[in-house]
Amino acid sequence: MAALEKFEHWYHNRHEYAREWKKRTGGKVIGTFCTYVPDEILTAAGMLHSRILGSHEPQDVTEPHIFGMFCPFCRDSLAQGLKGRFNYLDGIVLAHSCIHYRQTFDSWRAHIPTEFTYYLPMPNMVQSPSAKSYYVGEVAKFKAALEEYAGKKITDADLDRGIELTNKNRRLLHKIYEFRKTDPPKLTGTEALYIATTAQFVDYEEHNKALEEASEEVADRTVDRDPGIRLMAVGSENDDVEFFKMVESVGATVVIDEQCAGTRYFWNEARIQPDRLQTISDRYVERPPCPTKDYPERQRFPHVLQLAKDYKAQGAIIMQEKFCDPHEGDNPVLKKYLEDNGIPTLGLEFDSTNPLGPFRIRVEAFLETLRTDDLF
Amino acid sequence: MAEFWRWKEYNWKDPDKDWKTAKMITAGIDVGSVSSQAVIATDGELYAYSSMRTGSNSPDSARKALEWALQDTGMKQENIQYVVGTGYGRVNVPFANKAITEIACHARGANFMAGNSVRTILDMGGQDCKAIHCDEKGKVTNFLMNDKCAAGTGRGMEVIADLLAVPIEQVGELSFNVPEEPEPVSSTCVVFAKSEAMGLLKDGWTKSKVLAAYCLAMAKRVSELLERIGVEKEFFITGGIAKNAGVVKRLEQVIGISAVQSKYDSQLAGALGAALFGQALLQKEKAAGKVA
Repeated sequence: MAALEKFEHWYHNRHEYAREWKKRTGGKVIGTFCTYVPDEILTAAGMLHSRILGSHEPQDVTEPHIFGMFCPFCRDSLAQGLKGRFNYLDGIVLAHSCIHYRQTFDSWRAHIPTEFTYYLPMPNMVQSPSAKSYYVGEVAKFKAALEEYAGKKITDADLDRGIELTNKNRRLLHKIYEFRKTDPPKLTGTEALYIATTAQFVDYEEHNKALEEASEEVADRTVDRDPGIRLMAVGSENDDVEFFKMVESVGATVVIDEQCAGTRYFWNEARIQPDRLQTISDRYVERPPCPTKDYPERQRFPHVLQLAKDYKAQGAIIMQEKFCDPHEGDNPVLKKYLEDNGIPTLGLEFDSTNPLGPFRIRVEAFLETLRTDDLF
Repeated sequence: MAEFWRWKEYNWKDPDKDWKTAKMITAGIDVGSVSSQAVIATDGELYAYSSMRTGSNSPDSARKALEWALQDTGMKQENIQYVVGTGYGRVNVPFANKAITEIACHARGANFMAGNSVRTILDMGGQDCKAIHCDEKGKVTNFLMNDKCAAGTGRGMEVIADLLAVPIEQVGELSFNVPEEPEPVSSTCVVFAKSEAMGLLKDGWTKSKVLAAYCLAMAKRVSELLERIGVEKEFFITGGIAKNAGVVKRLEQVIGISAVQSKYDSQLAGALGAALFGQALLQKEKAAGKVA
């Protein structure tokens, strides 16, 4: 298998991967809710960080547990648990972000037997001067809880290893994302989605190795498809592979993203400081924020615009997860902000399954407005 | 059983034009969710057209619409130099040279039908509704579509016509036969609106009063879409519902702007726009020496 194909394979066989990892290493697998969980600590503890994602299939098992007006991603994620697809997990951890997600975590904890569960109160007010001093204490408690659960101390050397592996992963993801900047882009948005999403559940050593090999493959690539219009994807938990494929089949390439299944997970490295836990916890306070945490100043918007400019996006698709209040609050303002800065936008509302036909007409018509080869 | 929703299918050709003298012949085929139209343009002018119900098979619907437009013209399909497909079945028009979205085609068609001062177009189609902004050439600058709902669409109107046993062409006229405007029915869902209409009939409402309530609900529904994008003058309505005065007049009242009138059939906008794009594309191919 070529290195690049590994990511797609992992994406579609995530459960088999985790089971096989567990068998091979004898280690614990910890399901993570939200990209704010400090994967460095899990890695330091010798555990596998295993992001809980949905399957994008219709389901009818969550109705008794969480409300229908909770976001489709939350419902889809819980459905995977209720259906037993994550039955290999030894534990779960949620880093606090939104209420929908917390209820999902609570429901999982109440209805799906799991050895270790942990609620990590990541502060929403990351702009507060006390956010860092607060969060480092919470991360220390999380570390202690993992030590107690595993019956084994997490040493400084373990933490160094955790920081090194995750930071290396971030550097390598940046490096491969550079191939999206070229004209034509050497990496499609669909490929990048597979790559960035799998970083959230594949052992960093393996993922890093695959990234190194894939970067070499991509560097030598000659692009034989017409890239069309360069687009940006802005959203949240949008690992909507079928949607990305459709967009890239109608005359466009997604060249950059600002979403949890992408740059928001890996964009900044942990700055090395004398205190290892501070190194780790500060990274999450300083990272490009989720809308739940981007208050009172909206610091996310200039970051989104800078990404669009750096990757030469000609337009942006704003992918709104239905009922996701934090993004719903941002999106009308973000739309105006991007358009005022020369980036036209198309807003689409996503459910767990993708209505590709109705999306396609909207995307095609959006692309027609962006094309200069006019029909007049 | 009578099918009250069933609108008349038709075709037309310009008796004063001789297609044999035309330098360029292009066609636009709009395979919509409910109706299909074929337009034949000669040198960028309307020459012939047809409008029919879309069948279960998109390629067949496209073929039939074109055949009917060609009827009695002496023209054969091979005389057409460029075909553009549009509508939800646009990628399934078997003989099309290119597929273009109906959003672009409606704007282009509206520009031809109602003049280049049109800036806002409301396309009230069979199964969705689109609000479109365009420039003086008829190029789309912005658009919005309704989401996942038949309220405010032709199919919704057909359901109500059937329920009330009123031929669809008479819905608009009959809806004005009320002493005063009633409250609108539910504007969020055709199924809810239908249940509500049945209840109102039981309460002794006349058919006209129910139709007035439904037309008003539809007008309010589409006005929300227009308000989200903003209505810039001139304002023009395309699609089948444009023929229903019961909705159009009420919509004009709700938004406080009158729609521009055109001598052309509003349902042709998509296919006509497609045929005109075909003309521009053919011209470019000729200029590039790709075709004779």
